[in-house]
Amino acid sequence: METPRTGTSFKPEEAYATAAERFFELMKTFGMAGGTSTDWKALAAPLATQFERWLQMSQAMTPWFSAAAPGPFGGASFGAPAAAAFGPLAFGPAAVSSAPPARTLELLGQLVRLQAELARHWSEIAGTAAQRFVARLGAAPAAPATPQQALQLYEIWVNCAEEAYAATVHREDFSRLQAELANTSAALLAEQRQQAESLVRALGLPARSELDGLYAQVKDLRRELAELMQSRGATAASGGAAPRPAAQRRAKPKRAPRARPRAGRRARGPKR
Amino acid sequence: MRAPGAGAGASLADITVQVSETLALIAAARDVTVGCSPKEPVWSCGKTTLYRYLPLAAVPRGRPVLICFALVNRPYVLDLQPERSLVRRLLEAGLEVYLIDWGEPDDADRHVDLEEYIEQHLGGSVRCIRSRHGGERLELLGVCQGGVLGLCYTALHPDAVAGLITLTTPVDFHTPENLLSKWVRGLDTALLESCGNVPGELLNGLFLALMPVRLTQQKYVRLLSSRPDQRAVEDFVRMEKWIFDTPPQSAAALAQFVRWFYQENRLMRDTLSIGGRRVSLRDIRQPLLNLYALEDHIVPAAASAVLAERIGSRDYTGCGIATGHIGMYVSRAAGAEVPRRIISWLAERS
Repeated sequence: METPRTGTSFKPEEAYATAAERFFELMKTFGMAGGTSTDWKALAAPLATQFERWLQMSQAMTPWFSAAAPGPFGGASFGAPAAAAFGPLAFGPAAVSSAPPARTLELLGQLVRLQAELARHWSEIAGTAAQRFVARLGAAPAAPATPQQALQLYEIWVNCAEEAYAATVHREDFSRLQAELANTSAALLAEQRQQAESLVRALGLPARSELDGLYAQVKDLRRELAELMQSRGATAASGGAAPRPAAQRRAKPKRAPRARPRAGRRARGPKR
Repeated sequence: MRAPGAGAGASLADITVQVSETLALIAAARDVTVGCSPKEPVWSCGKTTLYRYLPLAAVPRGRPVLICFALVNRPYVLDLQPERSLVRRLLEAGLEVYLIDWGEPDDADRHVDLEEYIEQHLGGSVRCIRSRHGGERLELLGVCQGGVLGLCYTALHPDAVAGLITLTTPVDFHTPENLLSKWVRGLDTALLESCGNVPGELLNGLFLALMPVRLTQQKYVRLLSSRPDQRAVEDFVRMEKWIFDTPPQSAAALAQFVRWFYQENRLMRDTLSIGGRRVSLRDIRQPLLNLYALEDHIVPAAASAVLAERIGSRDYTGCGIATGHIGMYVSRAAGAEVPRRIISWLAERS
């Protein structure tokens, strides 16, 4: 039996309830509860509005979009926990400026612009989906009366919505926008980290880049150790960087041989 | 459709009852178990663990099979439950099955790159298995991104691999229907790498955004329309668990994968190097079975099928199966066809 490491995204009841709620909303729009004949053409506008709202609310599905959400540092993205901690930097050594640097403001402005651009795409997708749906149902005389009819109608709606979505998101301008959103979010995070590093350095605490440098050094040392072991023919069975059979790993650990960096070879620094 | 009268409101009420009943079933299934075949760890390197499934046959037959899964998902989808388990079918056929679990990279693994994954983690697993089996070559079964790693390893170490099976494995990353590829083509991978490991939730969001209405709405509504019993809901929740169980990705490896494969399409252009060594599909001369899904929205069929034209092997079998990406691992139709094809292909070459 496995133990899944499901994160916060695993919420089956919530996901199901949300989908059902949206289904009911659609059915009401289709006139299922009203008991009246449906003028499909008149449905285009409310359908488009609903779908556009749903796309906007589901922005988090486009992972980097959440970082573009309004607010000083966005929502969950590459480094949400760290990013969220950047607002109140008013304490600490005087060397650290508490005002957001110009670059941060510039990136935030860029995110707002990209967000507006994305909203225009959502609007276009929603409008196209509604038009497709109405065109496909033009000949249907009335609203669904049974659950089966409702589900059939729902399937048609989903097809129209996905077709409209695909027609836009495959385009080069949309793809470029997605990449720009990701790159800007990443740049913003990098900028925020830089500010944080200034603060922690001033406080005499280890910084992210220093830790990364150490990780890189450990990796280099492991590689050198593996090369040494291979040259001695010791890794024929175990292979790789100091790996051992799992059963042996549980036994009392032996002291690892000390690897010395080669003369004249510098440990790799941070990759920034 | 007939004009609804008083019955229409009743219909909506019926659906409401159905929703609440299904919700209760989902809540009851929340703690459903995943992974069914007993296995033991036999080797590890970093966060990676090599498992050996306990054989079902008294005397295993054929060469050992090593399953190399993708880095981006957890491999237990291949052994989800007894009736939906590729692993179980292979064991029942008398094969000895090993599986690489890449584990969950943390900050200390942010510099683990593709070379390390391929040469040390995958390579170390291969060396371990061969040493347990008297130096015998093995059968390598690569799944999705794991198939790409398997292709690279086989090209670099032809003496270690007797035969290669690729399942939903992308080779040409620039086919027109590949939405994921279009979206990541303009990513600044150096910047991406500098941000550290990429959280699993972010990747999940990316995959859901490929077909958002189908993947976040329709599948739940279809559950409603199928009037599922507890068992069907448990099967559904098992899949949900797996879908949302995405480990973080090492910053270095993910950045390389995006740049080398999605952006630069190096496998197709024959410009890939791993650890300073050229990786060419032409150097793969082993028998190769390539299984791909015809309705795959993540790895389009054409992205996989092109392997036939690129490898050096004269013993190539390609087969498209009428299902989607995940359907290849868990759908009822593919659940029978995929193991059957693998087992008979292996038997013909043992």
